[in-house]
This record gives sequence, structure tokens and C-alpha cells, in this order.
Amino acid sequence: MRIRCPHCGERALDEFTYLGDASVTRPDPTSPDAAGEFYAYAYERRNIAGPTQELWYHQAGCHSWLVVTRDTRTHEISDVKLAEDVASKRIKSTAGAA
Amino acid sequence: MSDPQNEAALKRNGLTISKREDVAVTHVALRRGMQAELEKRASAALGVSLPATARVAEASGKLVVWAGPEQWLIIEPRSTGKDPSVDLAEALKGAASIIDVSDSRVIFRVEGQKATEVLAPSMAIDFHDQVFKRGDVAITHASHLGVMVWRLPDGSGYEFACARTYAVAFSEWLADACGKLTRPA
Ligand SMILES: [Zn+2]
Repeated sequence: MRIRCPHCGERALDEFTYLGDASVTRPDPTSPDAAGEFYAYAYERRNIAGPTQELWYHQAGCHSWLVVTRDTRTHEISDVKLAEDVASKRIKSTAGAA
Repeated sequence: MSDPQNEAALKRNGLTISKREDVAVTHVALRRGMQAELEKRASAALGVSLPATARVAEASGKLVVWAGPEQWLIIEPRSTGKDPSVDLAEALKGAASIIDVSDSRVIFRVEGQKATEVLAPSMAIDFHDQVFKRGDVAITHASHLGVMVWRLPDGSGYEFACARTYAVAFSEWLADACGKLTRPA
């Protein structure tokens, strides 16, 4: 498996570190069910057969955090974005919705 | 590099490895929100734009090397008694953070026609002429050691930057890699 870092180009897997699910968002700690929401945020994961969004860190390269869309059945990577771009887009969309 | 077997192999391969002790290395990191300001002032101070992608830029004896997103290494000959990071810190004040890293980084140079041929099987990046072009930079690892490598703009070879702590291990690996083509069985 190789990952195409937006900064560095295609690199071997041994340059990257896997963190986990990139689709979860940190709950609001002031919400009434904060404890339950944090439990789900930390522990509850779906076991997806298909495309997933994962956080990978380009540890031996440019030190960027990446959001990688990977199919768990084939390891095919269909998209790689910088995590900071994904996060700022997410912040903008929640700000727009509020 | 003192290994006589490696010395002979390097000679047969027409390669030279040198450690550039004559240079000052300065790390430049953009301060948040100051991109346009840094671009303007860095161009004026260095005489060349800071590369936005994994490239090196040359300017009157200085080499400006992309060192990851929003950071660069400036490599230049060390003139007597002068610390270039002081001038750069003054010129880029408020727009970038400047650190003299001359003592923390070592620059090695590999020159010779067979440089690409010996490095290609030794590292995991693609060294093909059309992929890793003259002036291209890669931040990667070699034999588990973190390194930056760039293809010299004139095509004469490559330069590597590695942490001084690992300089001995890295240079031995480099000599080994460069000697492998004609290593006796
Ligand atoms: Zn990268």
C-alpha cells in the first residue's frame, strides 16, 4: 500500500503512522449527554466493509496529518486530503449551519 | 568513508561523497497569517522566492530548500565571523521564526554520473529522471534515518541533510550504498 501525500507525492506505507477513524468529531463537552457522547466518540466504531476515512500521519516525511479514503476490502485509496483542510471546511460548514 | 573497501568501490563507481562543513544552515518557519508578508520580504532578502512545493531555489550562492509545509532551510557558505541567521531574523522579523541549525544538521554531497543508479535501489523514493527532477526535494528516510534529499539543480548529483547525531551512521550507510554496484561478491 502506498499513500499519495499532497505535499510529498506517493510514498511507501512505512513512512506513515495510522491513527484511526477520521469521520468522528469531538462532541460538545457542555451538552447534557456529554459523557455518553464522549464514550461513543472514544470507543464506538463501525466495522466497515468498503470506503472509510482514516487519519494518517506522514511521520517520516513532511509531518502532515492526512485524511485518507481507503476501501477496507481492496486497500484501494481513492482520496487523500490534508487534515487541516478537512477540519477548516468542517468548521466553516458547522458555522454556516448555526 | 574510511573503509578501504568502500573507498575502492567509490573510485570504481566514479563517485565522491563530501561533508559540507563550510556552510551555515538556517531554518525558516512561517508565522501564522503572515504568508504574503513573508513572501515579499524573503524575496527581497534572498533574491529568490521561497519554493511553495518540494523544490530548491538557487540565489547568489544560497540554496533555499523546501523543508515541509511552510518551512525552509537556507544553506550558504559561512563567511568569517558572520552568522547569516542574524541578518535573516532581522529581515523577516515578525513574518517567520528563524533558527540557526548549522550545528544540528549536516549536509552531505554525492557527485558522479552513477549517483542516481546507486541511490535508486538504496532508498524507497522514486529516483527516475522524470519523477525526481533536478531541483526536486524529498523528506524521507534512509536506513531508518530521517533525511532530506535534493537533486542538485545542475544535475551533478545529490545533497542530503541529516541530523548531526546520526551523521556517522548516515555517512557509513551512504558510502556503503554508493559502493554496492561494484562490490566484490
Ligand atoms: Zn508528506
